[in-house]
Amino acid sequence: MNSSLKSSISRVGIIVIAAVMVEVISIIQYQRLRGLMEEEMSGRSHMAFAALADRIQYTLDKTELTMQENMWNVMRSMAHPDSVFSALAHLVDDNPDVVGGCLAFSPYYYPSKGRLFEPYVCKGPDGSLEVKQLAGPDHDYTQNEEYQWVLNHKEPNWTDPYSFESDTLTYATYSYPLMDTKGRILAICGLDIDLSWLGNLLNTRQPFASTFSFLLTPEGDFVTGPPESRTPRAEVELAVAIANGLLPASEHPDLLMRKTALHKDPYWQVVQVYKASEVFEKMKRMRHQQMLLILLGLAILAFMIHRYARNEQKLQKASEEQARISGELSVARRIQEEMLPKSFPADIYGSLEPAREVGGDLYDFYQRDGKLFFCIGDVSGKGVPSAMLMSVIHSLFRVLSQKTEDPSRILKVLNQELCRGNDSNMFVTFFAGCLDLYTGKLHYANAGHDKPYLLGDAPTQLAAKSNLPLGVFPDTEFEPQECTLSPGAMLFLYTDGLTEAKNSRREAFGRLRVQQVLTDCLANSRMTPESMVHSISDAAHRFAEDAPQSDDLTMLLIRYLPGELFKQQITLVNERSEVEKLGAFVKDFCSSLELDRKSSAHLRLALEEAVVNVINYAYPKGEKGSIDIYADSNRKEVRFTIVDSGVPFDPTAAISADTTLDAQNRPIGGLGILLTRKLADSVSYCRKGDKNVLTITKSIQ
Amino acid sequence: MTTTIQETDERFIAVLSGELDTAAAEQTSQALQPLLDSKGKEIVLDCTDLEYISSSGLRVLLSILKQAKSVGSRVVLKNVNEVIRDVLDISGFISIFEME
Repeated sequence: MNSSLKSSISRVGIIVIAAVMVEVISIIQYQRLRGLMEEEMSGRSHMAFAALADRIQYTLDKTELTMQENMWNVMRSMAHPDSVFSALAHLVDDNPDVVGGCLAFSPYYYPSKGRLFEPYVCKGPDGSLEVKQLAGPDHDYTQNEEYQWVLNHKEPNWTDPYSFESDTLTYATYSYPLMDTKGRILAICGLDIDLSWLGNLLNTRQPFASTFSFLLTPEGDFVTGPPESRTPRAEVELAVAIANGLLPASEHPDLLMRKTALHKDPYWQVVQVYKASEVFEKMKRMRHQQMLLILLGLAILAFMIHRYARNEQKLQKASEEQARISGELSVARRIQEEMLPKSFPADIYGSLEPAREVGGDLYDFYQRDGKLFFCIGDVSGKGVPSAMLMSVIHSLFRVLSQKTEDPSRILKVLNQELCRGNDSNMFVTFFAGCLDLYTGKLHYANAGHDKPYLLGDAPTQLAAKSNLPLGVFPDTEFEPQECTLSPGAMLFLYTDGLTEAKNSRREAFGRLRVQQVLTDCLANSRMTPESMVHSISDAAHRFAEDAPQSDDLTMLLIRYLPGELFKQQITLVNERSEVEKLGAFVKDFCSSLELDRKSSAHLRLALEEAVVNVINYAYPKGEKGSIDIYADSNRKEVRFTIVDSGVPFDPTAAISADTTLDAQNRPIGGLGILLTRKLADSVSYCRKGDKNVLTITKSIQ
Repeated sequence: MTTTIQETDERFIAVLSGELDTAAAEQTSQALQPLLDSKGKEIVLDCTDLEYISSSGLRVLLSILKQAKSVGSRVVLKNVNEVIRDVLDISGFISIFEME
């Protein structure tokens, strides 16, 4: 399993856990809210109930008061049975809550009325009073429990509420004993009150449409409840049955009930019924909506995390890649730095500061045959592509300059090589020179590069032709040019990174400032090439301030300081006898240099072998020819240059004798060039025009 | 360049003095002609006064050595100076000549 799959699984896991936690928290919150809501509802119903209890009490008290207020009038009316009716009617009419009133006389109270007499007045629906006599053979009130209770206890009493089949109303009756002064019960007065309004009142302010309340007696008998228009009768009956424990509540989990009891007579209970589904529906819906929102949020969060992680991964990959590339670039930079000359003789100093890790500038110099070969170049563009081309040019310069001393020739071949398959159209400005350290003669050629400065008494630009850069047209000719440096003169080469160094105001350092710095340097006689290059670089950096370096900055400064020079020249003809003159010539030159005998002999032998080679082979047999020999020295090195006009012949290409063979197998020839090579430091051949030029150098320090 | 040859019963002693350069090689070669018929005698080349030798001179010495070897004689170089020793060394001749 790869790590990205693992991490995405773990991310999904975290999201799932978060979702579960949110769900749990939501459930807990829901339960708490539900509890709070129930508490709130209970509080509310308590308040409602307290008001209700007051109303009941008030109604009952008022009924009792009505009874007391009218008792005297009723008692007085009892003198005549007929006047009882009007007293009763007055009593009933006195209290709007009272719907009926009766007087149940003790048996034979009015002998004329027989054993039982019970006058009754009730209110019709329109408020008119109806008068009846209730007692009869089928209605013996003395058997009535209530009657007997009051008879026995001799104190008033409320009946439990009751109702009739004939109507849906609920009644309660207040029974009051009427006694004579001796405490004998004369009659019991009953006042009926209608309690149906209680049910209505109870249900007028329910918090939910399905919520209803009803009254139960302490024994569980139904007193009054919601009007049928509000709640179906069957539903109320079901609730009553559950409240009385006749049906298990667990079978009806949706029905929630709360019982509260009146804390004084008649001790009725109020049962409030509500449906969980309705009460908590809104909360549930809210919870679900909330959950949905949270889950949606989590999903978005998961998506974002996923995207973020993916981007992070991409970033990490990119930064790893970046690190790899920059690692490789730093290696490339090191390789490039190592290609440049590492150690500088006292009179040469170069510096290359790439704008990026690797640069497209180059410079090079090296010494061969008493001549300093040098170049400076700037590949178009920057960075890796330029650096690669720069390496190619650098190598080609090294190889080509071994074969020729003519910079224009080097440029020509370089140009042809660069034009071959140059599909990316890169080009290179290039300047190459060859300075003869014994004569100060400078051969040079330019390919579109900035003209170097010649520093004599003042900085002047070298009169170099511009020409096209390398890599543009394969048949470009680069004109060979030359001049002679006087001892102490300097040559300052640079790339446009110097003149075009910009400051933050986009101003370029420019040639004038370069000239000024060069002039300042010349004024200080103690300046060396190294310190001059540093002060020019410092000046450019000071000028650019904090602006980023936009181009590679390369400089090369060469001072021509030949010191004390020794020169001799001799011309010989191509005859062996001339060797004697040659010997004398060398000995003479060596003694002017105060060389010891051994060094002198070595030099003489090296030169003699080379010259004999020319005498033997340069000209066809019998043809006369001359051989010019130049000896140069600066006390550090001796250079012999042998020039003849014979057929092209490169003695350095000839095979040297095998020095390991025994006497019998030793060939007679091939020894000469071997001795020259072994005794000299370098032997090099080149064909200049129609002349063979062989140069032999040897250090004499 | 001067060359003298003394013949005793056992050996030829050739005294080489001067500079054996290319110009002198032919003449020296002529002068040393008797050594090419050494009759089995040992050849001693006295180099005490030989100051210089070039490859042509070495060739002269080589031809004497080849001739002597073919008849079973030895060639001994005597009192070789430093300069000449260097040349013999570089050319590898030091391994084929006997030095004294």
